[in-house]
Amino acid sequence: MRLHKKICNRLILLFMTICLSGCAPFTENNLIEEISPITFLAISKGDKGKLKVSTILPPLSKENKNVMSQEVSLLKEGVQKYNLNFYQEMKYGQMRMLVISDELGKDGIMSIINVLLTDPEISPRIYLVIVKGNFDEYLKSQLDKDENFDYSFYRMLKHYEEKNQGELTVVNLHEFKHLLYTPYSDPFLPVFKLEEDGVNYEGTALFQDDKLVETISSLDDRIFQLINNDHYLDVLPIPKFEVVLGHVRSKIIVDIDSSYSTMTYTVNMDTRIEEYRGEKQLFDPKELENMKKDMETHLEKQTHELFKKMQELKVDPLQLGIQTKRPFSKPMEEKKWIEMFEKMNIKIKYNINIDPLTDANSKRPNL
Amino acid sequence: MGTYQLFKKNEIFNGLYAMLLVNRLQMLYFFLIMPNILIHPYMIWVLIAVGILSQLNLLLLSKWLLTRLSSNGYNGFVQMFGKKCVRFLSFIGLFFILLKLSVITLGFSEIVQTFMLPSTDTNFLVFFILLFCFYVAGKGVEHTIRFVLISFFCTFWMITFFVFFFFPPIARLSDLYPLIPMEWKVENWKAFFLILSSYSGPEFLVFLGPWLKTNNKTFRYLSYGNALTVVEYVFLFIASLLYFGSNYLSKIQYPIINMARYFQNPVFERIDMIMLSFELFNLVFAVSLFLLLFYGASKIAFGKMSKPTSGKGLLSNVFLIFIGMVLMNELFWKSEEKQNFLLNLQIIAGSISYFLVPLVIVLVMKKRGVKKSAST
Repeated sequence: MRLHKKICNRLILLFMTICLSGCAPFTENNLIEEISPITFLAISKGDKGKLKVSTILPPLSKENKNVMSQEVSLLKEGVQKYNLNFYQEMKYGQMRMLVISDELGKDGIMSIINVLLTDPEISPRIYLVIVKGNFDEYLKSQLDKDENFDYSFYRMLKHYEEKNQGELTVVNLHEFKHLLYTPYSDPFLPVFKLEEDGVNYEGTALFQDDKLVETISSLDDRIFQLINNDHYLDVLPIPKFEVVLGHVRSKIIVDIDSSYSTMTYTVNMDTRIEEYRGEKQLFDPKELENMKKDMETHLEKQTHELFKKMQELKVDPLQLGIQTKRPFSKPMEEKKWIEMFEKMNIKIKYNINIDPLTDANSKRPNL
Repeated sequence: MGTYQLFKKNEIFNGLYAMLLVNRLQMLYFFLIMPNILIHPYMIWVLIAVGILSQLNLLLLSKWLLTRLSSNGYNGFVQMFGKKCVRFLSFIGLFFILLKLSVITLGFSEIVQTFMLPSTDTNFLVFFILLFCFYVAGKGVEHTIRFVLISFFCTFWMITFFVFFFFPPIARLSDLYPLIPMEWKVENWKAFFLILSSYSGPEFLVFLGPWLKTNNKTFRYLSYGNALTVVEYVFLFIASLLYFGSNYLSKIQYPIINMARYFQNPVFERIDMIMLSFELFNLVFAVSLFLLLFYGASKIAFGKMSKPTSGKGLLSNVFLIFIGMVLMNELFWKSEEKQNFLLNLQIIAGSISYFLVPLVIVLVMKKRGVKKSAST
C-alpha cells in the first residue's frame, strides 16, 4: 500500500514537471524546425507614413536566404504579415540588432523603442544602429557574397562593446532607453553609411529626446569617444600635425560654478606618439613641449566647437546636467537646465601627458 | 491518503529555522514590485527605518514564543483568549490568510505568464502551484517547516547576481540623489505601508510555537532573519535605482525581473527564466505553510477541533482556496485597476496584521499575567 502511494506521488510529480517545463499543450509551439528566430530587423520609412520592415529569412537553416520586406503601419503587424507569407513562424527571442534608417530617426523612434521594451522576449541587450542609405538593396546585393553578413555585423558590434574597446559608439536598447528617459541626458547611436565596398562606420548620431538631430563624424566623433563613451581610443590621428597618438586614455573633470554660468571641462589625457611624419625633432624636449601645446590648443578648439554644436542643438549626450545634482537639495528641472546649458560659458582644457617616440628618427642629430 | 496527523509534533526546530522562516516569509512577492512604488532614492531610509520597527515587532513576538502557552498551540490560545474568542479570531484570520495567499500566488503566476509562458492561462498556473503546495503541505507541518531550508538555498544565491549593477558603467552615484526627501507626497504613504506590509509574514510564527525551540537566543535569531531581509531589500532597491534611474522606475511593472533580463551568460540566454523558476520554491514553501494554517484555522473556526486531521480535509480546503483564487483572478486580478484594489487591500491587511498580532498578544499576556516559561 505504501509503495503504491509512493509511486503515485512520483507520477504526480513527474506529470507536473513535464507540464511546467514547456511540454504542456497550452503553450506556444517552439519546435525549432517550424520557427525562424530572426537576428535583426531593419526599419525604414515607407510610403504615406508607413514603416518598411525587412529581415533575412530563413535566418538559421541552410536554405537559400531571402531579404523579405513588408510595408506596415505598425511594427508588430509586420510579424503577422511575415507569418502569413512564410512557412515558418517568426520569433523575436534571438534578435540581436535593430537597424533604423536615418530618415526614420529624424522623425522620432520613441514608439519603436517602446514596442521593443514591452516584449519580454526581446533582450534589453539588442544593439541599435542608424544606417544611411538603402539597407534593403544593400542586403540583397550582399547575400550572394556573404551569407552570414548579419552575424558578422553583430560580432563586430559585440567586439567593440565589450571592455570598451574604444573605436566606435555601440549602444544597446537598455542604454538608449536609460539616456532617453533620464532627465539631463539625450541618447546617441552609431551611424553606419552604406557604400559599395561595405558598411562603413560614419560617426555618432545625437538625439534630442527621440529625434535624430545631428551626426558627428571624424575628429569630432573621436573626441566624443574620448570624453564620453569609452574614455579610451586605440588610435587618434591628428592630420594637422602629421601625428598619430596611440592608446589614449582620458580622465574628465567637470566643474560648474555655483551660479551655473561657467563650466570648466578638463580632459586629462595619457598617450604616446605612435607615428610622426612631420619635420619637428621630437627628441628635443622643447620641441615636444611645443608640439604638445599645439595639440592641446587644437583639441581644445575642436572640442569647444563640438560643445557649441551641442549647445545650439540643445542636446546633452554627455549628461553634463547630472553634475548639478546634489545629495541634499532638490534637483532642478530639466527644462531649466537646458536653458542654462544653452547660455553656459564653457571652458575646455586639455592636459596631455605624452610619451615620445622612442625609436630613432631619421633626422635625429648628434649621433 | 491515510489518517495521519498533519499537525503532530515529533521534533523541535532550532533558531536557525526560525531565522530562515522570518527571512523567507518576508521575501515573498512584494519585493519584486517594490521599487516600482518606492521610486525615490530617499526611500532607502524608510526601508531601513521600517526594518527597525519590524525588529520591535519581533521582540514582542519572541516574548510570546518564550511563554509556555505558545508551545501548547491551540490550547495555549484558548487559555489566553477563551474558546469563543479564539474561534472568532481564527474566522477573521481565514480572510487574512486567503488574501495573502491569493495575492502572492496570483502575482507570481502573472509574472510567470508574462515572462515565461505568455500563452498560458494564469488559472492553470495557479492550479499547478496549488498542486505542488498541496503535496508539500500534505507532508505535515514539520516537513513544511523543514522545506524552508530548500527554499532558502534555492533562492538566496540570486541576490549575489545583482552585485553586477553596483559597478560602472551602470552604477553612478548621482542616481541616488537627492538623499533626503524634499517634499512628502501622498503616494509616499502608500510606499510606506507597502514596506510595512512587505516586512509582514513573521507574525504567522505565532502559531508555530509548538515546533520552535525557544530560549534566550530566539530573539537574536529572529533579528538575524529580519536584518537579512532589510539588507536584501535595500540592496535590491539601490540596484534598481542604479539600473533604471528614479524617473523610469515608476514606469516599469516588474523592475527586479527586468533587471535579471539584462544578465548575460554564454550558456543560458534567459537567466531570468531560471531565476524565476527557482523563486517558485520560495512561493511553494510559503503557500504550503499558509495552506496548513488555513486548514488549522478553518477547523478551529468551525469547531471541528476534536476530529483528527486528514488529507481529505486538507484537499477540500485547497479546493476551496483554488476556487476562491480563480474567482479573484477573474474578477480582480486580470484588470489592472481592480488588481490595484486587491494589492492595496493586501498592503493594508499585511500592515495591520503585522502590527497588531504581536501587539495584541503581548497586551493580553500582560493583562493575564502570563510569565515566561521556566525553561529559559
